[in-house]
Amino acid sequence: MRFGRLILALALVVAVAATAAAAGARVHATRSVTTITFWHAYATNAASPELQRLTKIVIPRFEKLNPSIKVVQVPFDYNSLQQKLTTSVAGGTLPDVIRSDIAWVPQYAKLGAFAQLDKAMPDFKSLAGKTYPGSLATNFYKGHYYGLPLDTNTRVEMYNTAALASAGITSPPRTFADLRADAPKLKAKGIYLFADSGTGGWNVLPWIWSGGGSLTNSTYTKATGYLNSPKTVAAVQLLVDLYKAGAIPSLMTGDQGAVGTEDGLATAKYATILDGPWMFPIFRSAYPNFHLQTALVPAGPGGSVSVVGGEDIVMTQSSKHKQAAEQFIRFMLSPWAQTQMAHAGQMPVRTDVSKQLTKINSYYAIFEKQLQTARPRTPSPNWPQIDTILGNAVATAMKSGNTKAALDSAAQQIDGLLR
Amino acid sequence: MLWAYAFAAPGFVLFALVILYPVARAFQISLYNWSIVPGSASTWLGLHNYGRALHDPIFWRSLVNTGFYMAVTTPAQIVLGLGAAVLLDARIPARGLFRALFYLPVVTSWVVVSLLFRYLFMTDGGLVNWLTGQHVDWLGGRWTALATISILGVWKGIGWSMVIFLAALQGVPVELKEAAIVDGAGPWARFRAVSLPAIRPVVAFVTIMLVIGGFNVFTSVFLITGGGPLDETQVLLTYMYRQAFTFLDFGYGASLSFILTLIVFVLSLAQLRLFRRPGEGTA
Repeated sequence: MRFGRLILALALVVAVAATAAAAGARVHATRSVTTITFWHAYATNAASPELQRLTKIVIPRFEKLNPSIKVVQVPFDYNSLQQKLTTSVAGGTLPDVIRSDIAWVPQYAKLGAFAQLDKAMPDFKSLAGKTYPGSLATNFYKGHYYGLPLDTNTRVEMYNTAALASAGITSPPRTFADLRADAPKLKAKGIYLFADSGTGGWNVLPWIWSGGGSLTNSTYTKATGYLNSPKTVAAVQLLVDLYKAGAIPSLMTGDQGAVGTEDGLATAKYATILDGPWMFPIFRSAYPNFHLQTALVPAGPGGSVSVVGGEDIVMTQSSKHKQAAEQFIRFMLSPWAQTQMAHAGQMPVRTDVSKQLTKINSYYAIFEKQLQTARPRTPSPNWPQIDTILGNAVATAMKSGNTKAALDSAAQQIDGLLR
Repeated sequence: MLWAYAFAAPGFVLFALVILYPVARAFQISLYNWSIVPGSASTWLGLHNYGRALHDPIFWRSLVNTGFYMAVTTPAQIVLGLGAAVLLDARIPARGLFRALFYLPVVTSWVVVSLLFRYLFMTDGGLVNWLTGQHVDWLGGRWTALATISILGVWKGIGWSMVIFLAALQGVPVELKEAAIVDGAGPWARFRAVSLPAIRPVVAFVTIMLVIGGFNVFTSVFLITGGGPLDETQVLLTYMYRQAFTFLDFGYGASLSFILTLIVFVLSLAQLRLFRRPGEGTA
């Protein structure tokens, strides 16, 4: 009996020791798996096509190809991501990889939060060479690239055929001259020719560039002589004249009480707007009976030139797993991943993938065409200030009618922010 | 004596941790061109950020706008809150229901009601313009937009002052009111000569709190106009928020918040003096 107990006790000890050893082995196995964290603002709704693609197809494939790396993705709301970035920079709690709005990159590069990708990645040049130059330029700050383009977009003219037809107009405005000619006809029917939700760079740069003007010189060091050049003044004057003639609603000068662009376009209050590819699903769900039509940005003396939008992918300076992070960035720029995300509405940044874009989604065609001439906003850590000054200057011009004076003063203020 | 300090210590430690330390730190940040990255150097600017505010026209405009909001909403909330309290102190049917209804806006979310007011005051299709048959561009102009934001502030705040006044009114001795009736005082005279002096400290408290609250207006402005059009409806806190979190100019943002703190502090001291009863000690 006593002997029996001893055997039992021994057996127990052996069993416990064996389990512990097995657990130890498992711990050892997991130690070689690196976990990287990826922050993005694709969407916060888990059922959205972007998140479905990312979490069900793209990341699993990456983890299969790279068994030693695990990717933890964290979705944020677009506006809260920037706040989160700022507080995380201060708190030293940034993730490894971030999908950043193209306009934020220089701002955080200046803070030293993002790593210099051109120095860190040996194959940076070959990856960068496959992307649109306009998108790539948004990663540049003081001699270095702090990221790679991840997805792109641009604004094109979206119009309501019925609104135009009610004023006897059969084709959408394609030039500045068309806009001036169509304005009184639509006004007589109580329809605004064009609406936009602000006067910042995203809103007015297509008009300035299409008018042959510019915000700064080509090296982004001076605004005086560019923002107040005769061509820029003439382009902004077009907006001022249309506003004064009642062809542009007060929404554009910052009136939050006016009807929004998508509601206005779909209900024929506004005949045209400028907007991006994400509007197609929005209109489809909010106004299923509205047939959205697109055209290139109306051309002026400078042609039809729109503004580049989109996101870059960056690695943080504080990342402890830079090799794994680089591997993930490389993967996200592969033709396969770019094509996958294109199915979820993310326009690829690789020129070789873009060629098959219209097969994925027919409405991409117009954006691809517009992207060929589209330009980035000024890559500057002071862009938010520059954007505010530009926006206030154009809104002031539209309200006061004194375009030259408003742009003179804005150019002088922006000069100080470009150095 | 030591025991008293011991009992006060936990509260004071918490106060020091979440109020005093951030205040001191904010003051320190305001003296620098502050870099938020840990370990990186910030440039010493001294009082430059404060001088910059004094020469910043948008700072002055936001100060005037904040003052306007405070000057409109404080008296309105006191008068309407006190009125509601007096009416709901009387024996009327469904008194509890009305008290709850008046208090309801206080417990609703600022975000929800701000967005709601934005829709109510839309130029085309807004309920307010539809009901009045007017075509007022409420949110398109400085004063009409500030009026909208003030109306929201008053509507949301009446319930709070009402509840406090109500509690105070219930503490007014019935004997005093009865004595006044015996002396032939009418309702107005009774209110003015008996109730009002009795609740004077509460009026002082409510006024000071509302002035502080008025200067701290943020959510409604941020969500209804965003400070626009053309920065015409910026208030101190929205402007401070933009400098710090949009422009990442934390030094200037901190100096703006410090100026706001100073203004509120001085105003509160002034009010405490103003409301002091004649003969009361200098505390």
